[in-house]
Amino acid sequence: MSSVIEQIEQQIANLQTKAVKSNTGKIVQVADGVAKVDGLSEVMYNEMIEFPGGAIGIALNLEEDEVGVVILGEANHLKQGDECKCTGQLLSVPVGKGLLGRVVNALGQPIDGKGAIESSDTYPVERIAPGVIARKSVDQPLMTGIKSVDSMIPIGRGQRELIIGDRGTGKTSIALDTIINQANINKVGLASGDENFRPVYSIYVAVGQKNSNVARTIGVLEEAGALEYTIIVSAPAADAAANQYIAPYAGAAMSEYFMHNGMDALIVYDDLSKHAAAYRQMSLILKRPSGREAYPGDVFYLHSRLLERSARVNEENGNGSVTALPIIETLAGDLAAYIPTNVISITDGQIFLETDLFNQGIRPAVSVGLSVSRVGSAAQIKATKQVAGKLKLELAQFRELAAFAQFGSDLDAKTKSQLDRGARIVELFKQPAFSPVSIELQVAILWGMQNNYYDAVDVSDIVAAAGSVGEFFTSRKESLLDSIRNKAKLDDTLNDELKKAFEEWKPTFSA
Amino acid sequence: MKQDKQIKEYAKKLLQISKDGETLSEEKVEAVLKSLEANPPRHYQAVLKAYLKLAEQDVARSTALVDYAGELSQAGLDAIQSNLSSEYGRSISVITREEPSLIAGVRVRVDCDVYESSIASSLASLESSL
Repeated sequence: MSSVIEQIEQQIANLQTKAVKSNTGKIVQVADGVAKVDGLSEVMYNEMIEFPGGAIGIALNLEEDEVGVVILGEANHLKQGDECKCTGQLLSVPVGKGLLGRVVNALGQPIDGKGAIESSDTYPVERIAPGVIARKSVDQPLMTGIKSVDSMIPIGRGQRELIIGDRGTGKTSIALDTIINQANINKVGLASGDENFRPVYSIYVAVGQKNSNVARTIGVLEEAGALEYTIIVSAPAADAAANQYIAPYAGAAMSEYFMHNGMDALIVYDDLSKHAAAYRQMSLILKRPSGREAYPGDVFYLHSRLLERSARVNEENGNGSVTALPIIETLAGDLAAYIPTNVISITDGQIFLETDLFNQGIRPAVSVGLSVSRVGSAAQIKATKQVAGKLKLELAQFRELAAFAQFGSDLDAKTKSQLDRGARIVELFKQPAFSPVSIELQVAILWGMQNNYYDAVDVSDIVAAAGSVGEFFTSRKESLLDSIRNKAKLDDTLNDELKKAFEEWKPTFSA
Repeated sequence: MKQDKQIKEYAKKLLQISKDGETLSEEKVEAVLKSLEANPPRHYQAVLKAYLKLAEQDVARSTALVDYAGELSQAGLDAIQSNLSSEYGRSISVITREEPSLIAGVRVRVDCDVYESSIASSLASLESSL
C-alpha cells in the first residue's frame, strides 16, 4: 500500500516541477478551412498545429509575418484570437495489419463503427520516396484478373499503372477487380501453406467521391470477400478540401508499412483529378499564385511525390513493394489536358478506357492502341507470354483493318480471316465486372484461341464459349489448372494436356 | 499587395532607427513619431499601424509575462529573469500578473514561447491522455 502512496506523491511532485515549453500563435483570420496565424515562430513546414477543441491543422504557408494553416476537419468553432500551438510532429496515421478490413478517414480514424483500430505503429503521411539504391527492378507480376490487361498490359509489383478514361467507362471497376483478384489469390496462397507465397494487401483511397459510391465499393468488396485484405481510406466530396488533399498520402503511408515489412501492397487512388481539384481549392484560399487551369505551380510535384512512393525495395530496405493504380477522369476523352498529361508522364503506363468501346458493349473498354505498360513482359509469367505474346499486335491490326473494311465490301481471304480472328479476340476479352479470372484459367482460355478452338464457334457465342471453358476447367480440370499455376510455363506435357482438355470440351459446348 | 510590402519595409526601417542597440529607445521612438507627424508619408495611418505592430513584437520579445497562482517569491522571479535572459541571449524584463485559473504554479510567456508549470495545465494534459 505504501508504494501506491509513494507513486501518487511522485506524480504530484512531477506535476509541481515539470515545465512544458510550447510555441504558440494566435488566429488572425479563419475562413474556408484555412487559418492565418500570427506567431508560431518555430513552426516547420507540414508540422501539425493544435487548435482549441482538439482540431488539427497543417502549416503549409510559412510567410514572413504569418503562417497559413490548413485545418483538417471541423473548423466552425474556431475564431479570431484563439490560441494554437506547434506540436513538433509531422501528421501521422496509424498503420499495420490492424487496419485491414476497416474504413478510415484521411487521419486514419475509423468511420465504420467497428470500434477502435488495433494498431500501435504510426507513419508520417509525407515521406521521401525510396531512392535508386533502395529499389529493385519490377519483375514480379501483379495479376488483375482481367484477361485483356494481364495478357496485353501486364502490371508488375512496384509499378504505377494509370487507369484513365471518361466518366462511366469502368475505371473503378478495373481497380476493384484487381483488389478482388488479390484477395482470391491470397486465399488460395495462404491456404496452400506455401512459405514463399507473398500475399498482396490492398488500400483503396476514395477522394472526393459521393458517400453512396464509397458505400457501394465497400459492399462489392465485402460481397467478394476482399474487404478483409483491404483498407479503405475515405475522403468523400463532403469532406474539407484539406482532408481530400491528405487522404492519398495517408493511404500511401499505410501501404509503405507493408513494403517496409517484407509484404506487398496495392494502392488505388480514386481519383487524382478530384485530388488535384481539392489541392487547387486549398492553394487558392492560401493565396498561392495560380497557373494553368488555376492549378498552383507545384501540382506536378503534388502527384509525382505521391506516386514515387510506389516502389519495389530490396532486402536491406524491407523487401516489399507498393503497386499504385492511380485513376484519372478525362473530359470528352481529352488526354492532353493538364492533369492527365502530368500523371501519364509520371506513371509507368496507362490503361485507357474508351467511351465508344464501352457503349458498343466491349467491357472492360480497354483501348489497346492507347494503353501501354512500360514495365511490360518483365512482369508477366512465361505461360501468359506463350499464349498472348502476339495478341496486342493482332488486335491493333484488327482495329486498323476494321476501319478500312467499312469502306469496301470485297475483301481478300487473308483480310477476312484477320478480321474474323480479331472479332473473336475482342469477344474473348469481354468480361463482366467484379469477376476476375485466375491467371491459370486465362492461360487455358487464351491457349484455346491460339490453337483455333473457337474458330468453329459463332462470334456472337464467343463470350458463352469462354464461360463454358472456364466452367469446364474449374470443375473438371482442376489439376491441370494447378499445374499451370505451379509451373507458370507451358511445356510439352501441359500443351498435350490442354489439347486433350479442349478436345474433351468441344463436344460439351453447344451455343 | 505591393503597397502592403512597401509599408512593411518602411515600418521596419523606422523600427531599426528607433532602437538603441538591441532594445527600443523611448526617446528615439518619440523622435520618429514627431518626425512622421511633421512630414507625414503616404498611407500615414497604415505606416503607423505597421510600426506599432513591429514595436509590439519587439517589446514582446524582450518581455516575459509571468502569470501565477499562489505565491511567487522575488527570488523566484529573479531566477526566471536570469534564466530567460541567458536562454534568449538578451535582456528580458519581467511583468507579473495573478491568474487564479492556473490553480497553482506559473506560466511564462516570451513572444511566441510559453513555459507552463501549473496544476491547470498538468490536469489538462492528464485529461487528454485519458
